[in-house]
Amino acid sequence: MAELYVKPGNKDRGWNDPPQFSYGLQTQAGGPKRTSLTKRVAAPQDGSPRVPISETSPGAPPVGPPPLSSKASRPPPVGSSPACSVEPTNFPVIECETLLEDVLKPLEEALDDCRGHTKQVCDDISRRLALLQEQWAGGKLSTPVKKRMALLVQELSSHRWDAADDIHRSLMVDHVTEVSQWMVGVKRLIAEKRSLSSEETSEEKSTATAEEHQTVPGIHRLHNPVGSPDSPQTIS
Amino acid sequence: MATYLEFIQQNEERDGVRFSWNVWPSSRLEATRMVVPLACLLTPLRERPDLPPVQYEPVLCSRPTCKAILNPLCQVDYRAKLWACNFCFQRNQFPPAYTGISEVNQPAELMPQFSTIEYVIQRGPQSPLIFLYVVDTCLEEDDLQALKESLQMSLSLLPPDALVGLITFGRMVQVHELSCEGISKSFVFRGTKDLTAKQIQDMLGLTTPAMPMQQARPQEHPFVSSRFLQPIQKIDMNLTDLLGELQRDPWPVTQGKRPLRSTGVALSIAVGLLEGTFPNTGARIMLFTGGPPTQGPGMVVGDELKVPIRSWHDIEKDNARFMKKATKHYEMLANRAATNGHCIDIYACALDQTGLLEMKCCANLTGGHMVMGDSFNTSLFKQTFQRIFSKDFNGNFRMAFGATLEVKTSRELKIAGAVGPCVSLNVKGPCVSENELGVGGTSQWKICGLDPTSTLGIYFEVVNQHNAPIPQGGRGAIQFVTQYQHSSTQRRIRVTTVARNWADAQSHLRHIEAAFDQEAAAVLMARLGVFRAESEEGPDVLRWLDRQLIRLCQKFGQYNKEDPTSFRLSDSFSLYPQFMFHLRRSPFLQVFNNSPDESSYYRHHFARQDLTQSLIMIQPILYSYSFHGPPEPVLLDSSSILADRILLMDTFFQIVIYLGETIAQWRKAGYQDMPEYENFKHLLQAPLDDAQEILQARFPMPRYINTEHGGSQARFLLSKVNPSQTHNNLYTWGQVMK
Repeated sequence: MAELYVKPGNKDRGWNDPPQFSYGLQTQAGGPKRTSLTKRVAAPQDGSPRVPISETSPGAPPVGPPPLSSKASRPPPVGSSPACSVEPTNFPVIECETLLEDVLKPLEEALDDCRGHTKQVCDDISRRLALLQEQWAGGKLSTPVKKRMALLVQELSSHRWDAADDIHRSLMVDHVTEVSQWMVGVKRLIAEKRSLSSEETSEEKSTATAEEHQTVPGIHRLHNPVGSPDSPQTIS
Repeated sequence: MATYLEFIQQNEERDGVRFSWNVWPSSRLEATRMVVPLACLLTPLRERPDLPPVQYEPVLCSRPTCKAILNPLCQVDYRAKLWACNFCFQRNQFPPAYTGISEVNQPAELMPQFSTIEYVIQRGPQSPLIFLYVVDTCLEEDDLQALKESLQMSLSLLPPDALVGLITFGRMVQVHELSCEGISKSFVFRGTKDLTAKQIQDMLGLTTPAMPMQQARPQEHPFVSSRFLQPIQKIDMNLTDLLGELQRDPWPVTQGKRPLRSTGVALSIAVGLLEGTFPNTGARIMLFTGGPPTQGPGMVVGDELKVPIRSWHDIEKDNARFMKKATKHYEMLANRAATNGHCIDIYACALDQTGLLEMKCCANLTGGHMVMGDSFNTSLFKQTFQRIFSKDFNGNFRMAFGATLEVKTSRELKIAGAVGPCVSLNVKGPCVSENELGVGGTSQWKICGLDPTSTLGIYFEVVNQHNAPIPQGGRGAIQFVTQYQHSSTQRRIRVTTVARNWADAQSHLRHIEAAFDQEAAAVLMARLGVFRAESEEGPDVLRWLDRQLIRLCQKFGQYNKEDPTSFRLSDSFSLYPQFMFHLRRSPFLQVFNNSPDESSYYRHHFARQDLTQSLIMIQPILYSYSFHGPPEPVLLDSSSILADRILLMDTFFQIVIYLGETIAQWRKAGYQDMPEYENFKHLLQAPLDDAQEILQARFPMPRYINTEHGGSQARFLLSKVNPSQTHNNLYTWGQVMK
């Protein structure tokens, strides 16, 4: 679902600027991994510099072509080779156009649901939704942004708050220039809907269990406790 | 020795500890003759996905001068419910909760596989994380725009209950009051006059410090905040607008002048603000700057462009006017922040120097980050900044706050000091040695900002007298206790207890030799060298390093006198001389070709990375790709540069891909696009894929250089390799090998 792409860095401002990875690729990486390129070679103890045999010598006349595919062994990369390469890839074009109404209507409905909260907040959100509409209608938003917004409202309508939140984050990271002005409104809308629905759940169910009762969104649960607070746990 | 390598690796994976020696010489005299001190690299918060924290508090030894934590090395009498502390031999009663334990029903902390264990502390309030942005507005338009966007993006990456604040500066310093009402207010300070903490707090109306966190009702967070630091979930929309509306510093900059930048006062206000509102709680001050401080306390250079900022040459000739005073100013701020458990990050993006040399203590003493880039509008800055907020396998931030590290040793050892991103807590005791190495005179240090790769070098001294018998049990022990604030706001304690065998160096030298960890030793010696380089002259440090290498080779090398070709070192020492060779040419000890800021930047990262990354910095990794087989590591030597090979070099700060002459010609001819030469396309792609894996994960993001034989950027490779083949000796060897 997340976009996985690599763009080249900003060569104008930093001539050895590294390539830019999309949010999807960065979170996929899972954080600092032990790099597999860590081996070293000991220097020869007799002190002479090694000159391994090379097929061509420097300054020789123009060389022939590389070995043909059928003969030579294909050198596998040291690490696992991910699907994307460092060079930029083309993004597949979506056949059907994402419609503004499909995105805007669910967002406005969600906002109406939240009208019970502070007027200030709702006005603020609605102002930003208006901005979103204006930019979309004015053709200022790119296709990936529109596509992902459609996905976001789908997740929002299905009450999958974490997924919607993740999409909002990926849009902020990958397309901040386009979305920064109004995306924070969408983010707040997700948060408001989430807290609203958890209130409704706790009202409906009089015997709410700890799992279902979400007090503060975004705080992740602890590890399953190994032992109770009073006695040390024995581990088999 | 395959078994020792495995032993070393297993211990590192489990405990995050690597010792220079894994069998310890049993007397002080013998230990000094080993040349490399007994020391270890400790990664206190090493990621352990397989180690769930336990939800109870640790059991402590009852002796007030000891207080070691119950660990697998303790003798236990299950019948009498007593345990003997392995450090002070005190017999302790188990607390009532442990009445049910037995040989077959052991608590986790007594099991050998839990030599490293993490406790969650239940008592005490949990305070939210705090992020205070201090933003330079004397930037070019597109730079400022890029920075604003990165900051707006970061609001989406922070947890909703984190507190956030904003200070902007240029000629003046503005502290923004964050409120939900429409009007944005700010307090403006002159950038020329430094203020004391009390003055700042008075002027901002913070005369009564915020209440220390009250006892939280279950499942509710007490949102104690001030007008200047508000929870994200309340303030994100307004702050996004506020950031979006930030303008360049309005004061005009005339031709031939630098903008007036009051970094010193801005940072001072930030430190004072947090001191007054949230002392002793985890917080990050994040300074974003696009140029050097040019006015007020902490200024590093004047505003006239014709007077350049100090270079190493200027410093050596004692021609750096502002350096001492500015360094003192930032050191004072760094110490205040460290005392309060706050860390200071510096994100400096500019084409010229920004004063990192003077400001480095802010990051180094508090454990904050230092990021150096060319512009805020580069992928290097944007992605490095994003990675600050990276999450672990549980969805929690990797960053941790307010750590104190305490080290306890068995009687035969004392603590000489530590080198890393920490400050001393000045805790004296029986374990503390009088001979200092690094930050010494203490058995406890504070690390205000840390993450799972933060690593300290800890140095020990063996104090057993010569010819005294080996201690009963034959093993020495060390316990590392790290208390910290986890990013989920829980307080946790990570306890690591390790032991190693003593050996008599005179009769068992071979055992000690076989258990030498050359990689750890190289990094530990390098850290000492870099620590010395901060206060000593460069050539003196190199002479010291050389002398240590010579002494080590004299002690452990096998050779016949008068016969240089007979010199041999055993396997466990075989890479060590190479490491020393590359270390003395490295940017950590050689300042030539680097500005003072660059040297400070490299040293900052070196003094905190784990062993693998530190080793990459000392001696870059070089891999060779060819048609002859799978990619292989090759010697970091000019003889590895061949026409039909592609080289991938990782120096930690740069990833360099270098195409040999023939490969470059083939690429230019376009063979990779022809279907019958598909294997050539794969060959070109292989190092790119491996480079990508490194680029995707490393913090800070390295620079990426893709070059070929004859290319101008090939100099990155050529300057690192050992020049065994040069134009002087090429024809001597080359002709013979044909």
